[in-house]
Amino acid sequence: MTGQRLTRRLTRRRVLAEGLGGAGALVLGAGLAGCGTGEGRAAAASGSTRRSTWRDTVGDGQLRVTPGEGMLTRPELGAPSRDGPVLATLAHVTDAHVLDASSPARVSFLDRLGAPFESTFRPQEALTAQVLAGGARAVRALSPDAVIQGGDLIDNDQNNELVHGLAALHGGVVHPGSGRRGYDGVQLRSDTDPFYYRPAVDAPVYPALLSDAVRPFRSPGVRAPVLPVLGDHDALVAGTVVPTALTRALAVGDRALWDLPQGLDVPAGLRARSTGSPDGPPDPGVVDALLRQALRGPTVPVPADPGRRQLSFAESVSRLVTAGGRGVGAAPGPRLDYTVDIGAAVRVVVLDLVRRGGGSGGQVDASQPAWLARELQAAGDRWVVVVTHQPLLSSQSGEDVLAVLDRSPRVIAALNGHTHRNVVTARRTAAGGYWLIATASLIDFPQQARALQIRATARGGVAIHAWMLDHVGDGALGGISRQLSYIDAQGGRPQGFAGSARDRNVILYRGPVR
Amino acid sequence: MTAVPGAVREAWRGLATRRRRAVLTGLGIALAAAMLSAAIVVGDGLGRGFDRAARAADLPDVIVRFDPQPRSMVVQRLRALPDIAAYATRQEVTNVGINAAGSGHRRGDAVLELLTSGTRRGYAVVAGRDLHARGDEVLVEKAFAQSWGLRPGSTLNVRGLGPERVVGLVQAPDNVGFPLAKPRFYLALSALDARFGIATPDPRVDYAELWVRDQRHLNEVLVEARASSFGLRGLRFATRSGVRVLLDQAAGIVIDLLVALSLIALVTAGAMLAASARAEVQRRLGTIGVQRAVGASAGHVTLVHALEALLVAAPAAAVGCAAGAIAVAGPTGHLLTLLNEPAPGAALVLPLAGGWLVACALAVGGAAWPVARAASRPVTALLRGADVAGRPAHRIPALARLRAAGPMALGARLVAARRARLITSVLVLGLSAAFVLLVLALASELSALQTDPGALGKRYQLTAALPPSDAARARRIAGVQAVAPRYDVQAVDSFSLGETIDVIAYPGDHTVFEAPPMVAGRRLRGDGEAEIGEGLAQALGLSPGQTLALQLPSGSELRLRVSGLVSSLDHDGRVAYVPARALLRADPSAGSVLAVRVAAGADASRVSRALGPLGITPAPTGGATARGAPLVAVLRAIIRAVAVVDGLVCLYVLVQACSVTVLERRRTVAVLRACGAGAGVVRRLLLGAALALVIPAAVVGYLVQRLVLGPAVSHLAAGYAELPLRASGADVAVTAAGLLVAAVAAVWWVARQAARESVLSGLAS
Repeated sequence: MTGQRLTRRLTRRRVLAEGLGGAGALVLGAGLAGCGTGEGRAAAASGSTRRSTWRDTVGDGQLRVTPGEGMLTRPELGAPSRDGPVLATLAHVTDAHVLDASSPARVSFLDRLGAPFESTFRPQEALTAQVLAGGARAVRALSPDAVIQGGDLIDNDQNNELVHGLAALHGGVVHPGSGRRGYDGVQLRSDTDPFYYRPAVDAPVYPALLSDAVRPFRSPGVRAPVLPVLGDHDALVAGTVVPTALTRALAVGDRALWDLPQGLDVPAGLRARSTGSPDGPPDPGVVDALLRQALRGPTVPVPADPGRRQLSFAESVSRLVTAGGRGVGAAPGPRLDYTVDIGAAVRVVVLDLVRRGGGSGGQVDASQPAWLARELQAAGDRWVVVVTHQPLLSSQSGEDVLAVLDRSPRVIAALNGHTHRNVVTARRTAAGGYWLIATASLIDFPQQARALQIRATARGGVAIHAWMLDHVGDGALGGISRQLSYIDAQGGRPQGFAGSARDRNVILYRGPVR
Repeated sequence: MTAVPGAVREAWRGLATRRRRAVLTGLGIALAAAMLSAAIVVGDGLGRGFDRAARAADLPDVIVRFDPQPRSMVVQRLRALPDIAAYATRQEVTNVGINAAGSGHRRGDAVLELLTSGTRRGYAVVAGRDLHARGDEVLVEKAFAQSWGLRPGSTLNVRGLGPERVVGLVQAPDNVGFPLAKPRFYLALSALDARFGIATPDPRVDYAELWVRDQRHLNEVLVEARASSFGLRGLRFATRSGVRVLLDQAAGIVIDLLVALSLIALVTAGAMLAASARAEVQRRLGTIGVQRAVGASAGHVTLVHALEALLVAAPAAAVGCAAGAIAVAGPTGHLLTLLNEPAPGAALVLPLAGGWLVACALAVGGAAWPVARAASRPVTALLRGADVAGRPAHRIPALARLRAAGPMALGARLVAARRARLITSVLVLGLSAAFVLLVLALASELSALQTDPGALGKRYQLTAALPPSDAARARRIAGVQAVAPRYDVQAVDSFSLGETIDVIAYPGDHTVFEAPPMVAGRRLRGDGEAEIGEGLAQALGLSPGQTLALQLPSGSELRLRVSGLVSSLDHDGRVAYVPARALLRADPSAGSVLAVRVAAGADASRVSRALGPLGITPAPTGGATARGAPLVAVLRAIIRAVAVVDGLVCLYVLVQACSVTVLERRRTVAVLRACGAGAGVVRRLLLGAALALVIPAAVVGYLVQRLVLGPAVSHLAAGYAELPLRASGADVAVTAAGLLVAAVAAVWWVARQAARESVLSGLAS
């Protein structure tokens, strides 16, 4: 194996010409390019993007630490007013997608088919636990009243993923990887499929990345109550398929699908139906069919690991609730719908929109609008923040929930994840309106969480100070993950997931109840 | 402190009294400077040509070729890449019929570059203007335009489009020019759309150019481009270095040889300048002694001689530099045009000025240093005419034995009496002879590279564009020794996507058809191994036992264990011989031709005719520069010019040596003449002196070429392959004869000068 090589060379002719021209020293060798972990300036230890953040200032594909981003005032739902006391501080950490990159149940080979499968492989996917731990560090520095874990904590509905994800979020020793060797996936240097980024041989070269990625590490955790939201990837294979006997056997077995089988292609019309979400293919039937087809082709032997067993809906919900501890309060029913009051002035309502029959898009259950209306009614004078994983606007029957929210004068924000994109939109209603806030993921660029500080204003309304948090303190691996996520041609950079300034660090005003 | 104006006046007076000698010295300096400047023009022009062309044309950092795809899809993928400053797309239409109005020129294989998007285009407009969005206009490649006599305003008829006005001439260094490659011209799709009143919203493109912001991250861009290229067939990346390697297929080794030769010429010219300056000083030791005796300080004497040297060297070097540059500028410019590279133009002024300075510095330094050393010695020793070295003269036994052999032997002994000068002159002559031998060897090698496939280790003589299934039928033809499909794929290194590799595969033993010499390891055995060229091994840091990862146009990666390294000149040595079965497994669509090895003694043209009924006319196998016959012709012109200058240098050295002998031994010559010796005796005396220089010089020249210059040029030009630059027996004979002729000419000229002097004045000197 050649390993790391000289990537630039001076030609013989050039050397001769330089000799003729009397040029002096000729420098050979390029070595590794900077890994984008910042040059000359340290990132803020708090991860607050108000102090510093990561940007590609010259457009060369390399992230550097730059000065922080200021807060932009958005008065669409209320005139700016002098801030009063802080009513609650929340952190919205969503779409960490902590994954087992060695899992035979991964369908990475679908990535090369492009949309809507572009999320099935990411160059930085072996580092998700480290990034979540870095996100937890930033949240810890914020000292919030509660942390909203916005869904898709894990990627492929596996037990070991959930163990790793919960340890990284709540604190403890994380043992990433699975199987005998820790990593046995498509990014090994021995894999001859050039469509996967193999860190030991492909640029940017990180020879020891995979072994470092599966080394145990300690996460400090968020040190705050965690409010879990169920995401499609928390309970569905690839965020789409209800676990079947086939997928369950695949997950714990010793046959992995790495290569795209000959002749396998996207069914006609699927691209047209694509929602453009990076969160996974929307159609469970398609993935299931592709999986069955692929399994007829060649597979790669990998060490089996019973720890990769796939979780049922009930188990996923139960373990998220248990880990959430006192934050969740009374155990919810089969759906992870619940209400939590934060202090005396704020109520958080969590809705579970995951389709029990499979599919990544959200779906509102018939009973949910009425339950929500009751919870809003019971909120009294509290300001209400509603949280879902999938956006209400694109969820099936989401308009029924929106109608309930539209009528409530106390609702100030509806948070969601799933799209991996920072978007902040004002929804004007007769009752005063509220902010639709979508937060980026921790897996795709910009790999950020969102801090939300709800303050009373002098005029009786509220101001939501919202700013992005970079993951911090996760060493070289965190920096490499961020950089890899940035250069990924299918990732958050070309898709504009960071959003505009109006979607990141903002002060969102909401007028008093009319 | 020495008064400089006084020293200048003194130097000037010295020159005035030794006008002829000064002219002779100036001539030598001019010749050496000419060689030096010729070396600079060739070396700078060719050595930096690609970089200059790339800058002028804004050559993209990455060129991506693929089977035609909708532009929108390609653009979407290009936009997603990191570090991209700009991109452009094209469609390359091949086999386009063209003719030049009124000239009779006609071709059916032109390449139309249909520009479909992007403002940066990767070519330099060197005459006329760029394309406008509308109008029946084309841009034509300069080399092609020159060949057909096209210029801005000319008309080019394009089959299917009609007459197009040539609005500009361009140079694009992504390929060599016509006739090394097919004629190329450019047209804007928007102009076609406007002309025909149609809109092509999403044309198909097969060529994309990428400009990155930071070259250091090029590999990352390529990895991302590869990762997002799924579905594109026939995908080939070429970075600037890859483009250069591809161009080198046409001319690389020849250019490298020339540049290396120039480097050697430069060193040779420098050595000759220094040596001849030193010889000139040795001749004037007596004068220096007199100057010191009358009270001149050592510094003053040194300054005067240095100024004298400068007064001669400055104009002589200027004339020489100009003459050398002019001598090779024409052929070099023509060669650059063929390579789609611009002439250096004003960029040469500085290097030439540097060359002039070097020539002057060497002449002045070569004069001042020995003078300084001599002037510091006792005046009495100087007046006795002692040599610079100051050691007693040793008799050279071989020459001592010539005592009884008449005037020729006397001449030889007279030369030998000045041992340091003898050594210097022999060295200068020897270097010149070595250089001439090198040039001759180079010419032979160029010829072999152009015409002899054996120079590349190829053992087959014909190729036929026939499917592998026809191999058995071809094998039955009389005179055919072996036939096999030869697969040839352009790949890149999978871990360093900018490195281009020519992948060659045969089913079975490839050495039957191609057997470049092994330099390390062993021949490949089995499907998992590869032999690679030394050039590739150097570029990728590979050695036997390591893994070669090939990224094939099919998108697959083929990994093979390197079994051995071979010496190959093809593709700058960036070749890999792999088993056909392994290649076809990874790339079932790999293209092939039938390679035909003709039996020993059989007539290749007869075999070629016999292959005709199979449906295709075979092509004879070419050498490393097979496409470059016109190129080699130009190169020969350059070499000839350099060789002529070098020959003149030899002549100059001999004339100077004979003149010095006559001047120093005026009394001896006068005594001989007083004793009745005629012009014939003087000529024999001088011939003896000249032969005493020429014979050892020939030996030195041969040894220097064989042991130093040949290997040096070979290593400089192609360290990745064996390039035997050894002068043949005929070359040695020709060089020796040339030296002899130069000696005779020098003797004739100097003897005539000597005969003009009266015997009395000679006796009185």
